[in-house]
Amino acid sequence: MTRIALGPAVVQHVRPAGARGAAGAGTSAAFVPNATLVRRLDLSPSVARFVVRRDGSVATHLAGQYFALGIWADGRLLQRPYSTASPPTGASQLEFLIRRVPHGALTPRLWDLPLGARLRVGPPKGLLTLDPRLDRAALFVATGTGLAPIIAMLAALLDGPADARPPRLIVVHGVSYTAELAYRGRLERWAASHPGVAYEPVISRPADPLNAGWSGAVGHLDVALDAAWQRHRLDPRETVAYLCGNPEVIAAATRLLAARGVSPDAIVAERYWTTPIMGPSALDRAS
Amino acid sequence: MSYVIAEPCIDQQDQSCVAVCPVDCISADPASDRKFYIDPAGCIDCGSCETACPNQAIFRADQLPQEWAGFALVDATWFRDPARARRAVDELLPAA
Repeated sequence: MTRIALGPAVVQHVRPAGARGAAGAGTSAAFVPNATLVRRLDLSPSVARFVVRRDGSVATHLAGQYFALGIWADGRLLQRPYSTASPPTGASQLEFLIRRVPHGALTPRLWDLPLGARLRVGPPKGLLTLDPRLDRAALFVATGTGLAPIIAMLAALLDGPADARPPRLIVVHGVSYTAELAYRGRLERWAASHPGVAYEPVISRPADPLNAGWSGAVGHLDVALDAAWQRHRLDPRETVAYLCGNPEVIAAATRLLAARGVSPDAIVAERYWTTPIMGPSALDRAS
Repeated sequence: MSYVIAEPCIDQQDQSCVAVCPVDCISADPASDRKFYIDPAGCIDCGSCETACPNQAIFRADQLPQEWAGFALVDATWFRDPARARRAVDELLPAA
């Protein structure tokens, strides 16, 4: 589903010449830090949860949106967008689930930042947000760090009144290693305490020694998705699917859901990087 | 690599690209500019702007139609010397 944001809110992003703290005529974007790195929790050598605290008043976001995180590097503002796992509570802290890309432009530097480092957090953006048809089941499908916006949406829904949330919330999360099942404890608690919530993690490399002891679902995410679809007896006319993460997996999941009868307007997807096959039509957050 | 805003943007004043750019690298001075400009130093090649543009004015630099090849330099120039970039725009498509 392609959603294009239009409207009055657009105007605020147009900067007059000479504007400070952002790109104006005659200058590239400047680095004006507005947040502090306050916490990092490593899940594995390459995946971590970062928490930043924004200065002063904070921009309101919608659950599922992303922010650009920026640092000053090589004489310029270096930014990449990351979905926040934080629901829109108005709190100054935002949490991000980030994968370190060994030769990426930004993430190796993010890993090198000490607590207390200053960053720039851009305004909230993104179209992976909750569908207003809350009477339909919500099927959340994520690979890796694509779980972050889904956590924000689930938290927003489960913190709200029970009659203002979908009757069923089903989460299918695929990762390579069990250590990267981010928010596993939180998801298991939600599933145990909220009727209608189901959490279905799946590991793609069960033979890897790092996954020793895993007794849950294994295999490719699209296969797990199909199994979940059947197990939960989802009705394509009464389901909205949210897909986030690896673009190839999203493409496979979209095909599967279409084959199951889900209409394109009930599939909301956000791809985390581009592939030559897909063309330049998605966010590149791989670095 | 970067994206570039070409001739179809001129005098359109559509701002869809600005709204979707995740790193806010698209700018213009509404009082002086006839088009928007992408900062090649900030662009992360996500392509969100290309998808959002209703005028089909935005292209990857390496896929820019030949007749609009000059706009890559125009966009880059605006972030250093906006007056020069504006003169170039006027030369490429004189105001009606």
